[in-house]
Order: sequence, then structure tokens, then C-alpha cells
Amino acid sequence: MRKQAKKADSGYFFRQKLAPWLLLAIPMFFTLWLKYYPILKAIFISFFNYDPINQPGVFVGLKNYITMFQTSYYWEAWKNSFIFLFLQLIMTFFIPILQALFLNELRRMKSIVSTMYLLPALVPTTINVIVWRWVWHPDYGVANQIVKFFGGTPQTWLSDPNLVKFCIIFPGIIGGGISVLLYLAAIQNVSPDIMESASLDGCTGWKRIFYITLPNIRYIIFIQLVIAVSTAMQMLDAPYMFAAGGPSGASTTQGIFIYNSFNKDFNYGRGSAASVILMFVVMVMTMIQMHFENAEKE
Amino acid sequence: MKNNKAPSIRLSSGDRSLRFVAILMTVISLLLILFPFVLTISNSMKDNMKIYDVPPKLLPDPANSLQVTVDYSGFSGTPEELEAQIRDDMISTMFGVYTKMNRDSVFETKFYGTKDGKTIFYSRAHQTELQLEKDYGIYEGTVLNKKTLLYKDRAERVSKIIGYDFDLNGLDDKSAPSALQPETKSKLDTVFEKKFSLNGTLAACTLSTKNILLLESFVHYMKLPNYMYSANPTIARFGFLSFVGNTIIVIGWAIVCQVFLCSLCGFVISRLLSPKASRFVLLFFLGAQMIPFASIMLPQLIMYKDMGAYNNHAALLLPFLYPFGFYVYLFKGFFDHIPGSYFEAARLDGASNFYLYTNICMPLSKATIALIALQTFLGNWNDFFWAWLVTERQDLWTLNVALYNISNNVSTKQNALMGISLVTILPVIVIALIFSKQIKASIMSSGVKG
Repeated sequence: MRKQAKKADSGYFFRQKLAPWLLLAIPMFFTLWLKYYPILKAIFISFFNYDPINQPGVFVGLKNYITMFQTSYYWEAWKNSFIFLFLQLIMTFFIPILQALFLNELRRMKSIVSTMYLLPALVPTTINVIVWRWVWHPDYGVANQIVKFFGGTPQTWLSDPNLVKFCIIFPGIIGGGISVLLYLAAIQNVSPDIMESASLDGCTGWKRIFYITLPNIRYIIFIQLVIAVSTAMQMLDAPYMFAAGGPSGASTTQGIFIYNSFNKDFNYGRGSAASVILMFVVMVMTMIQMHFENAEKE
Repeated sequence: MKNNKAPSIRLSSGDRSLRFVAILMTVISLLLILFPFVLTISNSMKDNMKIYDVPPKLLPDPANSLQVTVDYSGFSGTPEELEAQIRDDMISTMFGVYTKMNRDSVFETKFYGTKDGKTIFYSRAHQTELQLEKDYGIYEGTVLNKKTLLYKDRAERVSKIIGYDFDLNGLDDKSAPSALQPETKSKLDTVFEKKFSLNGTLAACTLSTKNILLLESFVHYMKLPNYMYSANPTIARFGFLSFVGNTIIVIGWAIVCQVFLCSLCGFVISRLLSPKASRFVLLFFLGAQMIPFASIMLPQLIMYKDMGAYNNHAALLLPFLYPFGFYVYLFKGFFDHIPGSYFEAARLDGASNFYLYTNICMPLSKATIALIALQTFLGNWNDFFWAWLVTERQDLWTLNVALYNISNNVSTKQNALMGISLVTILPVIVIALIFSKQIKASIMSSGVKG
């Protein structure tokens, strides 16, 4: 209608066609500049023996990648990343789901309990690390007291290459946080009709949880799983603050490997090569997960 | 929505066991969640010795207040000399008690000086003040005894920091206690015996419980950054508050940027673009969000350094100057649901795009704005690595960076560290508890939409 009346009008053209792009120009430019440009630059740097003073240094082709793939330290970092992911999935991932399921079964105090579950989200990683480093302290910590109480031998925890990953993931078992509320929202959103007809058919209690609730919140569990996998791959803050990648590299994740490459060894080329591979792996893993989910739906 | 309040058919056994397990597991979860808080509170209230007790106690010991009266009746000399003598005694007493009576939980020492029945000197110090002076202040790295305590002008400087009243005609508002507990006296005698001998004579002393002193520790814990980074003028002046200020600047800037940029992009994508173009733009923004931080940390650092955005506020603030894809998506989803008739009516009246954005979209999306602000806050409250990477100057540190650095300093005591941590999160927790209803509602609505 309006099209016919104003088609020839240049003001109309401006308002309908050009204005949106002008409005988007600045945000899109900043996104390009602050996010896409750095990752392209990482790809670029990875082909050079990068020299920050006489940029970009000597072109070496794929040499950075090849030497990196030949160092065992790099593969150790991948192994560590996957062990972290595995530990996170078996130790902490399901806890918020259980907490939300059980929270939904409560008749009273639901509101207070859900507020309490919010608390862990408000504690920054730094403070969490300060508290748990004290718990794991070999001499004065609570952890060794508990071990001694049950008759075990005291451990050195964060200084033990075999235990350090466990110690870093373990604080997550307290659960809580935003994911509990997200699961709770999903559970409460399951249609009451389904619940009612299920209960009439005698599907109550544990059966209801397994056959009705869980399948109905499958989607949000899956989304959280995708997020958990990609965050575990990028893990950086917690292992760095707990043990700075040590002892003897046992908590060095991909992030810390990249950080050490440019901060300790001043090898910008290798750091960039590792950055590119990491991004590639995260993308591929996310895509594979999405593909499986889609395949299952059909 | 409500729990299946099916017209009370008798609960089956499965239902009953489920509810039992639900209550049990919830209680266990809550205890686990509270555990770090309890540990932090109890450790921050213990003193320097008790934090290293094995096995660690759950509750801190009660705090004691020590009152010492020293008499100078026989002294003959100028008032300046007398003042110096009493001051020296005060320093010896306080630090002597601090080092020798360290198992007695003496959280406060009150020192009175008397002459001819008049109280002429009064000073008071909290244990944490002495601890700071010992760990980072004038006595840093010294073995305490009378000689080191009073070396050159040290006593004068320390007593200025601790503060004291001196009046030869007698202090009107203070009167020295005269009670003498034999038990306390014998303890003090061992303190004064060798390393911390007095100029005057010990006239009275009492040791009494005063638990409010446990809370006073926190006031002094807050001075820790001032001592630790005294070389930096900003920190020396504002101390902990400068970290709080930086955090507020960064988070505030992030919230303003995200709300403005994301709502603008969401508006354009939702209302002004063709479906095909809008899908492309949305993917463009979401894709940027997908790039892992670990992957661009190195090139980003090089780029920022080349621009001169290193070790200044620009480096801290620039990373928030682009719209986060997920928030654009949330805004777009919300604007999609505003009925088109609003826009049609306004357009017919000749409203510009700007008017549509400011006067129709923004007022309607208060809930979404609150959600974005909350998400941005939670995201940044946790942000550490980038701020840590680009700041060398201590007055640029955010709370997370400052806490990490303080915790990595070898002379930091666990009680002070836990105290600072507690003070850091307490305001946030209080605010969250006050607005818990709104926060929960907005998180839960985001889950259903997303």
C-alpha cells in the first residue's frame, strides 16, 4: 500500500533501505574490528615466525603447526583438556539437574531454597579459588582432616599431578547457580496436561521423573551440555588460579598452553597456531553435537 | 504449573520415597552450598595463630581485650622525655603481647600510663593493626624485640599510626583501671622479662572477653591493600575502594554498552530488515560470540598493545564495545513479539525510526533490559583473565585481579584474605537477596525463551 504511494520518494528509500544499515554500521564495524579481525590475525600470525617489533617477521608457512604437533607438551595439554571435560561431565554436570528435579518436588520453602541455589553464581572464581586452596592445603586444610578421619593417608592435593585435576573440578559439586533455575523453569514448563494424564495412568513418583519430566526437559539439558563442553575446552581461569598450569604441566589446558607460549616462551607463532586449532576443535565439536541432536529429532 | 495437586489421591509409595529423597538431597545440597561461606566466615574471624591450628575448629575462639596500666610516678625529667618513654613502653607492650601471648586471642590492647595517681597516657590497638604493621608496614621482615622495635624513629612513626593521647595534667575522659589479675600479670611478666622490658612499672592488668572485636578485624583487613601497595599513590590513598571503583566502572560500562548496542541491533534486525538480511546479521553477531576467548587472547593483546590500549582504562573497557550475539538475539526475540499495530500507528503519524526505538521499543522492554543488565553483571563479576593480562598498574586492578594478586603474596595471612573476600561478596549477596524475586523471575523467563 505504502509502497505504491511512495516508491519514487528518495526519503522513503533512505528510511527503509539505507537507514537500517547505517544504524548497524557502527556495531558491525566494532564486531568486525574487536572479534573477527583478531581471529583472522591469529591465522595470519600462525604462518610467521612472529616478531612483535618488526612485524610480521619471517614467513615460515606451516612450520609452527608442524613443530607444535611434534611437541609432547602440546598433546599433554589436549589430554588435560579432555580429562577436565570428562571429570566435569561425570562429577558436576548432572548435579544442577538433580537439584532442580528435587527442588520441584518440595511442597514448602521452594522460594527460599531456590534463592539459596542462586548463591554460588554470585561467588567469583577468584574467591572460590581462595577458599578451596585453603581446603586443599596439605597441612592446615579440611580435606586432609576428613581423609585422616576415615583412616586414609594425607595427600598433597594441588601439588600432586594425579589429583590436581580432581581438586580443580571438585568445587563444582556444590552445584547451584543459574543452571538450576533454568532447569527448574523448564520442569515447571512441562505441560500440566501431560503430568495429569500420566498420574491418572499410574505414572507417579520416580516413574514420572524418568518417563515424563526428564524426556520433556531433554532440550535444555542438551543446550547446557553443549555449553559445558565448549567451556571445558576453553578452561583457563580456574586451572590457572589454582595451580598455574602445574604441577609439572598436569593442569595445563589449551588456554594455559596458549598463554605460556606467548608469555613465557615469547613464541607468538606457536601460540597463534594453538589458538587456531583450538577454535577449529571447539567449532567442530559444537557442530557434531548439534548434528546428533538434529538427527535424533528426525 | 503448581505441583500436581491432584485431588488428594493417597500418595503411592513411589511418591513418598521420592519426596523423602528430594528433601534429603535438598538439605545436603544446601549444606554443601553453605560450606564455603561458613569456612570463610570462621577463618576470617580467627587470629594469626588459630588459623594454623590442626585440626581446624569450626567456630573461632572468643576475642579478648587486654588492659595494661603502667606507672611512671618516680620519673623525673622533661615532659618530652616522659612522653617518649611511655611511647616506647606502649610499643614494647603491644608488640610484646602480640608475639609472646599469641595463644591467648588478645584482639585488643589498651595501654594506660599513670603518674602520681593521674592518667596521663592512653592508647589502643587492634591486633590486626599490629599484624599489618608487622607484615607490610614499618616492621616488615624484622624479628621483634625491644631493640628492633625502637630502632631510630620507628617507635615514633608506629605510635603515630596507632594513635595515642598524652596530657601531663591528666586525661579527663580516661581513667586507668586499677584491677590486677594475678594470672594475667604472670603472663605479662614473662613477656616483659627479657626482650620487651619496660621503663615504668606494671601497675594493673586485666584480660576480658569482648567478642565484638572479631568484627572489628574486618575494618582493618580493608587497610591491607594500602599497606601492601603503598608505593602506588592511588592505592595508598583509597586502598580497597579503588578496586571497587574499577570494578564498578568496568561493569557499569559493560552494562550500558550491551543494553544500548544490543537493543539497537535487535530493533533494526527485528523491525527494519528483510528476513533474509536479518538472518545474516544475526548470524554475524552470534558467530562473533562463538569465538573462544582463549583463541583470540593473543592476537587481541597484540592488537591492543599496538593501539596503545595497554595498562590503561581503554584496555579494560574496549572489549565490551561490540554487541554480544546472545543478547541481540534476546532483544530481537522480544521486539518480534511487540504487536505490529503499535509501529503502524506511529508510522502513519510520521514517526521516525529513532522515535520508534526510543519511545516504543525501549519503554516496553524494561524486563529484557533488566535481564541483559543482570547477565552482563554476572558475566563480568567473574571476568578475570583479560583484566589480569592488560593491567600492570595496581590502581587499574579490578576486584578479581586484586584478590588474585593479594592471595598470591606470600606474606598474606589467610584470615585477612578470607576477610577481604567476604567483604567483597557480601554487598552483592545482600543486593541479590533483596531482589531475589526479580532476579529469579528474569533468569527463568530467559530460559524458557532461549
